[in-house]
Amino acid sequence: MNDETRGGGPTGAAGPTQPGATDRLGATDRLDVVGDKHRPRWQETLLLLARNPMAVAASLVLLLLVLVGVLGEWLAPYGYNEQFVGGQLESPSTDHWFGTDEFGRDVFSRVLMGAEVSLRVGAVAVGISLVAGVLIGLFAGYFGRWLDDALMRFMDMLFAFPALLMAIAVLAILGRGENNAMIAIGIVYTPIFARVTRASVLSVREEVFIRASRASGAGSLRIIFRHVLPNAAPPIIVQTTISLAFAILSEAALSFVGLGTQPPNPSWGLMLSEGRGFVEHAWWMALFPGLAIFFVVLAFNVLGDALRDVLDPRQRSVLTGKGAGR
Amino acid sequence: MAPTRRRQLRTLGALALGLSLTLAACGGDDEGVPIDDAPADDTEDPGAADDDPDADEAPRGTLIAAISGEPDQFDPHATSAYASFQVLENVYDTLVAPDADGEFQPSLATEWDTSDDGLTWTFTLREGVTFHDGSDFTAADVVYSFNRIIDDEMANAFRFASVDEISAADDHTVVITLTEPTPALLANIGGFKGMSIIPEGAADEVDLATEAVGTGPFELGTLGAGGITITAYDEYWGGPASIEAVEFRYIGEATTALTALRTGEIHWTDNIPPQDIDGLGDESGIEVGVSPSVDYWYVALNQAVEPWDQIEARQAVAFGINRQQVVDVAQFGAATVNQTAIPEDSFWYHDYTPFDHDPGQARQLLDAAGVDEGQPLGLMVVQDTEGVQAAQVIESNLAEIGIDVTIEQEPSSTWLDRQAEGEFDAFMWSWLGNLDPFDFYHAQHYSEGGFNAQGYHNDELDGLLEQAAAETDQDARKALYDQAAELIAGEASYIYLYNPDVVQAWADGLGGYEIRPDRAINFENVTLPE
Repeated sequence: MNDETRGGGPTGAAGPTQPGATDRLGATDRLDVVGDKHRPRWQETLLLLARNPMAVAASLVLLLLVLVGVLGEWLAPYGYNEQFVGGQLESPSTDHWFGTDEFGRDVFSRVLMGAEVSLRVGAVAVGISLVAGVLIGLFAGYFGRWLDDALMRFMDMLFAFPALLMAIAVLAILGRGENNAMIAIGIVYTPIFARVTRASVLSVREEVFIRASRASGAGSLRIIFRHVLPNAAPPIIVQTTISLAFAILSEAALSFVGLGTQPPNPSWGLMLSEGRGFVEHAWWMALFPGLAIFFVVLAFNVLGDALRDVLDPRQRSVLTGKGAGR
Repeated sequence: MAPTRRRQLRTLGALALGLSLTLAACGGDDEGVPIDDAPADDTEDPGAADDDPDADEAPRGTLIAAISGEPDQFDPHATSAYASFQVLENVYDTLVAPDADGEFQPSLATEWDTSDDGLTWTFTLREGVTFHDGSDFTAADVVYSFNRIIDDEMANAFRFASVDEISAADDHTVVITLTEPTPALLANIGGFKGMSIIPEGAADEVDLATEAVGTGPFELGTLGAGGITITAYDEYWGGPASIEAVEFRYIGEATTALTALRTGEIHWTDNIPPQDIDGLGDESGIEVGVSPSVDYWYVALNQAVEPWDQIEARQAVAFGINRQQVVDVAQFGAATVNQTAIPEDSFWYHDYTPFDHDPGQARQLLDAAGVDEGQPLGLMVVQDTEGVQAAQVIESNLAEIGIDVTIEQEPSSTWLDRQAEGEFDAFMWSWLGNLDPFDFYHAQHYSEGGFNAQGYHNDELDGLLEQAAAETDQDARKALYDQAAELIAGEASYIYLYNPDVVQAWADGLGGYEIRPDRAINFENVTLPE
C-alpha cells in the first residue's frame, strides 16, 4: 500500500526527505527503510516476521485454524450433532479422541467444526469494527474540529462501557444468536479502531506530502483514502490482529452465557459452558474446547505483538539493522 | 413477562383459558447472585440461625431456600410464573387444598356440600381466620376474590367457565351455583394458589403485584434484587409456623445452587443439575427427594401449516422421536416416558402407547403424506430450559427420517406471543401442576379451547370433552377421558414426551418437609437442622 502511495501522485514529494529529518517518526522514516532495500515493503515485513520463531509458530497455529475452519466438515469423523445412543459421556478413546458429551456426540468433531464458528465470528465482527472504526477515525482525525469532537465523544461513550457488558446489552436489544453476536462484538470494538486510526491520522495529516497534495488541489476524499489511510495503516493492522483474538474470546464468552451461537451448533464457548456442569463427570467436555480457545487467542496475540514490532518504525529500524538516524 | 401474558390473554378474549401453570421453570437469568442482606451468621452455620430479638419463643430460625426463577409479581390471580407460586404457596390460602396425593382437603373451607343435581355447592368457611392486615376472613372475601378472577379475565378465569353465580349466604357460608355439573370444581377453585382468597377490595387498596395480604402461615416481606424473605404470621389459623422466616434466593444456575447447598449457604433447593442427581444421594449432609410429578413435556405441530395438517405427517414425527433418549439426555433418567399427558401414578392414567420409536414407520408415513426428505421444521423452545436439551435430541432423531429441524430459542414472553399468533411450525414446552383430567386435556385440545394453539379440530373429541367435563360418575368420567386421550395422542394433537420427576435437595436434618407431585412447596412445618 505504501509503495503505491509513494509511487504515484503528489506524495512523491515526500520521497527525498532525509532520515531523521523529523522528530516525529512518521511515514518518512518508514519510507527510507524500504527505499534503501529496494524491496516491496510487505516482503520485508514478512521477512522480518519470519525471523521471529514465536511469530512463525503463531502463524502456523492460525494457518491450521483456517484450514480446519474451512475443511472442518470433511475432516471431522462424525457429524456435529450425530448422537450415539448409549454412548454418552465416554472418556477419550481411539473411537472418540476427545471423548463424547452428554448427548453422545463426538467432542473431537465438534471442536473441529467449532473452528469455523470462531473464525467466521472473528472475521465478520472485526470486519464490522474495522470498517466502521477506521472510517470514523479517518474523518475525525483528518477534518478535526467539531466533527472530531462529535465522533470521538460518541466513541468515548461506547468505550465507557465494559466490552462484554456492552455486547450483552446489544444482544438484549437484537436478540440472541450468532449473527447478532457478530454485530454486537463489531459494535463493541469499533471505538478502539476509531481511536487507533485517529491517532495515526493526526500525525500523518501534518506530513509534508499531505500538505503538498492539498496544495496541488487534490480533493479531501482522495487525500484521505489514497494518502492518509495507507500511511496510517500499520497500527490498524496490528490492532486488527489483536482484535481478532478479542473477538473470538468475546464470541466464546457470549456463547458461554447462552447469547451467542445457539445449540446444537458447535461453538467453543458454548461447549465450554455445557461442559462446565460436567467437570466432575466428564472433564474432556470442557477441556478440549477450552484448549482450542486458549491456543487460538494466544496465537493471535503473539502474532499481533510480532507485527507491532515489525511495523513500528523504531523497532523496525533495529530489526533491519539500520539505525533511523539516531 | 407478566404484562405480556396478560396481553396475550386479552387478545384471546373471553375464551382466554389462562395458561395456568405452564410456565415452566423459566430460569431465564443466569446470574444467581446471593443477596447480601441475609443474616450473616446463617451463611456460615445454618443451624445457628437466630438473630430476631423479637422472637417470643425458643429460637426457630430462618430457612434459606434457593429457587431457580425470579417471581415476576406476587398477585396470585395475575401471575402464572412458577417462581411466584413457590413463594405464594406459603402466603395465601385457597378454600380447599390438595394433599400430597392430590386429594382435596379442607383449608379455608371446613366442609362442603353438593346438591343432588350437582348444580349447587355450599362451602362452610373456617371461623377465626384473619388476614395479615388483621381483618377478619368472611364470605364476602371469597365472593370478591372469585369475581375478580372472572370479571378481570384473570389467567384462571376459564376455571369458572361453568360457574353461574358466587354468593354469600351468611358471613361463613359461600354458595356456588353452576350451569352444569362440574365434578372438577374442587380442583378448579383449590388446585393451586392461583385461586387464592384475598381480602375484599384488596386490589384497589394495595399493589398486589408487590405486596400480599393473605391468610397463610407467612407474610410477604420486602422485595430484594436477589431474593425475598417471608416471615411467620403469628395469628395464622393453623398455628404459628415452626420457623420464623423463609428467605428465598434466586439462583438461576443449577451448579451454583448445588454448591451453595453443599457449603451450607442454603438449606433447600429445587435447582439441581440433572447429571448430579445420582451421585447426590451418597453425599453426606445432603438429602435428595425424588418424586414423580404431574407435569408433562410435549411437542405440538402447527396444524394450520403444511404438511402438519395431515395426521400421517404428525404421526411420523411421533414415531420419529426416541422418547427414552430424550429422557436420558435432558433429564438424565429423572423422568418417565409417557405417550399421554397424565402420569402413571394418577387415577386418571391411561395406558396407551401407539408410537414406539420407529424411524422406518415414520419415513413410510412421511412418504404417504408426500413429505420430501429435507422437510424443514422450526421447533420453538423456551430458552434456558431443559427443553433446549430435549430439542437437540429431537433434531438428531428427526434428521434420521429426513426432517430438518431448526431449534428456535425464545424468551418465554416471545414464545407465548408467537404461540398466540400461530407463528410457528412446532413448539415444545411443559404444563405444570395439573390435577384433574380437565386441566390436562380440555383447553389444549377442545376446538375452541384457549390453548389449542396448534389448531386441532375433531368433533368427536369435542363431544367427548364436553360430556366428560359434566360427568359426575368418576368411572364413567375416566372412560370418557381415556377415549379422549386416545384421540388426542393418536392423531398427534400433542406429541407427548415424558413426565419429569420432581427433584429437590435439602440439608441433612431438615425436618417436616414433604416433596409433592404438584411441586407445591410448603415450609410451614419445617424444622431446621441442629
